[in-house]
Amino acid sequence: MTVKLEVRDLSKTYGEGERAVHAVKHVSFKTDPGQFVAVVGPSGSGKTTLLAMIGGLLTPTTGSIVVNGRDIAGLSRGEQAAYRRETIGYVFQANNLLPFLTARENLLVMAQITGANRKAARERAGQLLDELGLQERANAVSTELSGGERQRVAIARALMNDPGLVLVDEPTASLDSARGRQVVESLIREVKTRGKLGLMVTHDMAMAALADRILSMHDGLMTEIAKSETVPA
Amino acid sequence: MIGLLEIRRRKLQFALIALIVTLISYLVLMINGLGVGLNEQAGSALKSFDANAIAYSDRAGLSVIRSELSAELVQRIGTESGSTASAPLGYVAANYEKADGSIKSAAFLGFDPGTIAEPKVVEGRTLTSEDGDAVLADRSFLRYADLKVGDTVTVSVRLSERQFRIVGAIDEGSFFFQPSVYLLRSSWQELKYGESGADQPAASVVLLKGPRLAGKSGQGWEAVSKTTAFANIEGVSGQQSTVQALQVFGYLIGGLVIGVFFYVLTLQKTGQIGVLKAVGASSFFVFRQVLIQVLGISTIGVAIAVPLAWLTNNALQRVPNPVPIAFTANTFLTTSLLLVLMAAVGAAFSGRQVAKVDPIIALGQQQ
Repeated sequence: MTVKLEVRDLSKTYGEGERAVHAVKHVSFKTDPGQFVAVVGPSGSGKTTLLAMIGGLLTPTTGSIVVNGRDIAGLSRGEQAAYRRETIGYVFQANNLLPFLTARENLLVMAQITGANRKAARERAGQLLDELGLQERANAVSTELSGGERQRVAIARALMNDPGLVLVDEPTASLDSARGRQVVESLIREVKTRGKLGLMVTHDMAMAALADRILSMHDGLMTEIAKSETVPA
Repeated sequence: MIGLLEIRRRKLQFALIALIVTLISYLVLMINGLGVGLNEQAGSALKSFDANAIAYSDRAGLSVIRSELSAELVQRIGTESGSTASAPLGYVAANYEKADGSIKSAAFLGFDPGTIAEPKVVEGRTLTSEDGDAVLADRSFLRYADLKVGDTVTVSVRLSERQFRIVGAIDEGSFFFQPSVYLLRSSWQELKYGESGADQPAASVVLLKGPRLAGKSGQGWEAVSKTTAFANIEGVSGQQSTVQALQVFGYLIGGLVIGVFFYVLTLQKTGQIGVLKAVGASSFFVFRQVLIQVLGISTIGVAIAVPLAWLTNNALQRVPNPVPIAFTANTFLTTSLLLVLMAAVGAAFSGRQVAKVDPIIALGQQQ
């Protein structure tokens, strides 16, 4: 399943009146299916707010987010949860695995949430763990895994329910640069070989350079950076 | 399910909660056992009367102590009530001497052999109309007085003493908070009034058997159901409301403590719950996991408490001065179910907290 994403004139304002904070201002962009897009910017630039709105965690103040022809900007909380369950795969900053579960069980939780077939889920979890080089660590409790292993489990978890859109929030924040690069490379490979749309928020230009396309956020405004402007990492 | 997996992986944490549940359940079970036991002591003999209703003197205010019926009235109650069977019964509390010489009190009940007031003998023999100096003693009496069938018991009668031989044992329980001893109605009259005869009251109450007898009354008498009669035993209603208050508090505190424990656990897991919701889990899905844990842990806790309470009860029955605790399968079952139910109600605190967690906390969250 692939996803067409179009963001139109999207804004998010926190608070009201003089105290209002305009976190995202009139952002518009379109993606092609199968692209891997990086959103870069310093902290406070609005990039995480943008990701949260596209991921159905935050309701925009104005504008629309059209995913496969459906505007998700006005969904109720319950509809947002269903949208996240069916369409989105999340990779979080600090992996956020459930600490008492093994790598494999962290993937199987996703199938429980959607109520998917157990046997199919076990097969899919095994396959994803193999692809990410985690077959040896599948039955290790996640607190026993290294930071890089944890982040790879998080990638596998994001792909577990076969989402069309993979959203990634600062995936290398807790990793050194060599490991961070490995993780992002395997992330991009997994997302692209499945023909999914990937959107990664990062403040690290070196990681962003690995993406097909780089969007830059600054003070809530978005500009596109041509790939040639980045220094090849 | 991940709720159960979490219990397996965090055995110590959940074992401690199960321990708390066990202790609370144990306490509530013992209180309930005490309630049943006290009730039995108050009048299990009354409850086991082979009768549907009990007739009192209408001036007695349903007190078996104050109720006195003449022979003529006993006759009349039998016919006027329309009962299928009736039997006079006399009651008096009298002192007797225990095997160790100490003086204790028992409920002496006078009956006529062959009537519905006759108790069922479980050991020895019953009384005949010739047995003016014999009694049937309840097992609780024999255990407490340290006597057995065949022994003689000395009963203080007014200013003198009188010897009765125990010819049979019965299992009727106690009457008016005292172990019951059955004797002939004529002997009862002698105990209570000093002599037997037509000019003395013939009975305290009349046991009535038949349909729709409760609420009937006539010149000088009124009949009530056994339940009403029981509730009117002096002290019973106060005792019952005390025990009921203890039970209600036990259930409330049980539900509250379990609820608070899981609420704290839920608070600690706010970050994890945020992640689960961010990846698409509904609040209901997360709450279901908490509920499964609450039900699982409270069931384990209660399951440990039940045999503990049972063992404690067995041990307590063996001490010379038995604590009035009694358990029935029914007590165990209803108490256990109510405790688990209260735990589930307590889980509602966590449900509210789960619903409040905003999944956006999963973003930008460092572990």
